[in-house]
Amino acid sequence: MNIAVCVKQTPDTETRVKLTDDQKAVNESDINFILNPYDEFAVEEALKLRETNGGEVTIISLGPDRVKSAIRSALAMGADKAIHLVADKNPSDPNAVAGALAEELKTGNYDLILLGKQAIDDDHAQLPSLLGEKLGLPAVTVVVKLDINGDQVTAEREIDGAHEIVTCNLPAVIGAQRGLNEPRYASLKGIMKAKKIPIEEKPAALAADQLEIESFNYPPEKSAGKIVGDSADAVPELLRLLHEEAKVI
Amino acid sequence: MAKENLPSFSKGMFSGVILDELVFPYPKMKEEEAEDLKMMQDSFRKFAEDHIDGQKIDEEEKYPDGLIDQLKELGFMGLSVPEEYDGFGLSATAYTKMFELFGGINPSVAITLGAHQSIGYKGLVLYGNEEQKKKYLPKLASGEMLAAYCLTEPGAGSDAAGIKTKAVRDEENGVYILNGSKIWITNGGVADFFTVFAKEEMPDKDGKMTEKISAFLVTRDMGGITSGKEEHKLGLKGSSTTEVFFEDVKVPFENLLGERGKGFKIAMNVLNNGRLGLAGGSIGALKVVMKEAIAHIRQRKQFRKTLSEFEMIKEKVAQMTVDLFATESMIYLTSGLVDRGDVDYSLESAMCKIRATEVTWHGVNECLQMVGGLGFMKEYPYQRYLRDGRVNMIFEGTNEILRMFTALAGMHERGQYLRKIGTALKGPIKGFGVLTDYATQWLKGRVSTERIRDVHPELAAAKVQFETWAKNMHFSAERALIHVGKNIIYREMIQERLANAAIDLYAMIATISRVDTMITEKGAENCSVEIKLCNTFADQAWRRVRRNLLMVDSNNDREMREIADFIVDQEKYPFETI
Ligand SMILES: Cc1cc2nc3c(=O)[nH]c(=O)nc-3n(C[C@H](O)[C@H](O)[C@H](O)COP(=O)(O)OP(=O)(O)OC[C@H]3O[C@@H](n4cnc5c(N)ncnc54)[C@H](O)[C@@H]3O)c2cc1C
Repeated sequence: MNIAVCVKQTPDTETRVKLTDDQKAVNESDINFILNPYDEFAVEEALKLRETNGGEVTIISLGPDRVKSAIRSALAMGADKAIHLVADKNPSDPNAVAGALAEELKTGNYDLILLGKQAIDDDHAQLPSLLGEKLGLPAVTVVVKLDINGDQVTAEREIDGAHEIVTCNLPAVIGAQRGLNEPRYASLKGIMKAKKIPIEEKPAALAADQLEIESFNYPPEKSAGKIVGDSADAVPELLRLLHEEAKVI
Repeated sequence: MAKENLPSFSKGMFSGVILDELVFPYPKMKEEEAEDLKMMQDSFRKFAEDHIDGQKIDEEEKYPDGLIDQLKELGFMGLSVPEEYDGFGLSATAYTKMFELFGGINPSVAITLGAHQSIGYKGLVLYGNEEQKKKYLPKLASGEMLAAYCLTEPGAGSDAAGIKTKAVRDEENGVYILNGSKIWITNGGVADFFTVFAKEEMPDKDGKMTEKISAFLVTRDMGGITSGKEEHKLGLKGSSTTEVFFEDVKVPFENLLGERGKGFKIAMNVLNNGRLGLAGGSIGALKVVMKEAIAHIRQRKQFRKTLSEFEMIKEKVAQMTVDLFATESMIYLTSGLVDRGDVDYSLESAMCKIRATEVTWHGVNECLQMVGGLGFMKEYPYQRYLRDGRVNMIFEGTNEILRMFTALAGMHERGQYLRKIGTALKGPIKGFGVLTDYATQWLKGRVSTERIRDVHPELAAAKVQFETWAKNMHFSAERALIHVGKNIIYREMIQERLANAAIDLYAMIATISRVDTMITEKGAENCSVEIKLCNTFADQAWRRVRRNLLMVDSNNDREMREIADFIVDQEKYPFETI
């Protein structure tokens, strides 16, 4: 099975985000970048499929030079090949990214395209569907269970309060959700081996962004908490406050 | 073994020579290795998040099933095995950074991994022959074999030369017969591979039979090896610590490690090497505990303010930061010296071990204090890290022994030199070279103030303090040598002060070099906090150095000795109030 996994490099979940002076972007200077955690589920699934079906796993990532370290992380888990679509930054428009990825994916003759259901930085959650559209392939996302039998795909996806079971044929695009599997840890052997795998570089065929970021804002400071009472008597007042002041119920 | 051509920086300092080319610029890891390291760290961090629960390990006094096997599979047993023997051949710097991570996440796991590779199989890496390495290193790297380092015995702790374990050569069968027992051996209950130090009779250079220490590579499958029960300890409870008994173990001649009779040197060199890992592990623990404590003092309110707003709390936070920054600077300067492969770093690694274990002990204790009663509770990590870190000041050479080593090895060359001068004065022609050498050095020490290269103006005052007090340390050591002569070996309080001064001075120069190099790369405007840390440390350090040096000459050592002798003689504290 010839599998492509599209991965993104994102800031570590523990990052304390700092904005640039014009507030139009995140200041990258002190950020620890990692492989997007949802993409790890995608890589793991690809590796498991390769273990049962044979074939090859190719990692594809778009972005500036720093994304190579995310590619290396995916290779260290055990992927076979890698393509870096070089761009001077990670575009903020998912449509532009999907376009460039689709251009590359078209040339690869892949049976299956895996990726995380979303990236934890800008959380668009658009790519699986956009890729399906641009490649004219079935796309199933937020997938927590995947069975592939011949070219029959059975994917279980999370929807509000239930699981939906979808079937389609290969080739297909699958967006991985937490729970799909337990990603393996890169072994030291894997890390050393990954170093020796050449990363093929190609310019990313990016169309202009159609989405423009006006500005980023920090979340409002949390105001101090309030203790309403310490017994069941306080429940009505608590309900009133939650309803009228906090407006959460 | 890497050849050691260049003298030690600190030995030079004791002799009045500042080898600044050894400490400037601050060493930097190669970019490629830094990338690998980050991936290895990420991998361990992720694994630990899912599988290592420090509190549970502490309570159950064991690791969960399969933990060690998983660590083996991931490759964490082969960090210091060279690549040609299927290991990962990390540089000392990357290795120490890995141990910083292990020690922060779980000191027990760190010591299991450390006893295996910092000391357990390190002798084989340093002194093994090709055949021995081929035979064992791949298995040790994969963790198929787990290693232990067996030196300590009931009668021989600090005085390791006093071991009684015996190896007797059986020429007919080509084996040594090994008998004896070792105590408190880390990994003792789980290891299959033991680096064992034992005494054998051998002819000295006059052909007389004498007992000398040799080192042996012993495997459990040789038979005759048993492990005692697991010790119950104050901390590091997941790690195995047992007695190991050797009864008529047949060790083939080819398992002799290094040369016959050179075992003591091997034992000491392995420890010199291992100490950096321990130093790294220590500060890793402090960093983790600090993070917890800082989160607490940011939100805990008393007197309507967060704890972090009170000045005595600020003092604690600042002090541990300053000390940690300086210690870290020493450790990675030293690992850089190891990685050069051509410098004697034995003193520096001992100094790092002393400083790191003590800074961590005090720092963790202060963190516990900052969080108040909560620090005393079992469900919080403070008390556990305090207990786990306590033994660091005891094993791999107690900090007392390492202070003696620092001072005496530091003065050794000077002592030799002075002796040479003694001889030189007797035979003026033969010793002429020595004498002029010495005289010029002496003069240089007196008149020149700019002994080391220029640093950024922001650090210039710290540099001058370093130069001034390094010179004074040299003079103090020299005066002590001239006054007490050979008796210096018994004057441990003087040794202690000189060692403490040397540690502070080495920490000063390491910190200055680190920040100076950083300024060169990033510009001073981007290093303002680091500059402040460096200058604050230097200011505190030279005052300590001054005090220590003053007390070399003027002290109450005699009274202290007399009081101690009196009390020991009384066998208890004998006084009562009236
Ligand atoms: C948890 C644990 C794990 C260990 N793991 C290993 C291991 O894997 N392999 C191994 O070989 N050993 C191991 N050891 C042993 C350890 O190295 C020794 O405990 C250590 O060397 C000190 O020896 P000792 O305990 O006999 O103390 P002693 O030598 O009896 O010393 C007691 C005290 O006297 C001081 N002292 C001794 N001599 C002098 C002197 N001349 N001047 C001033 N003070 C002095 C010491 O500093 C110490 O404070 C381990 C110990 C522990 C507790």
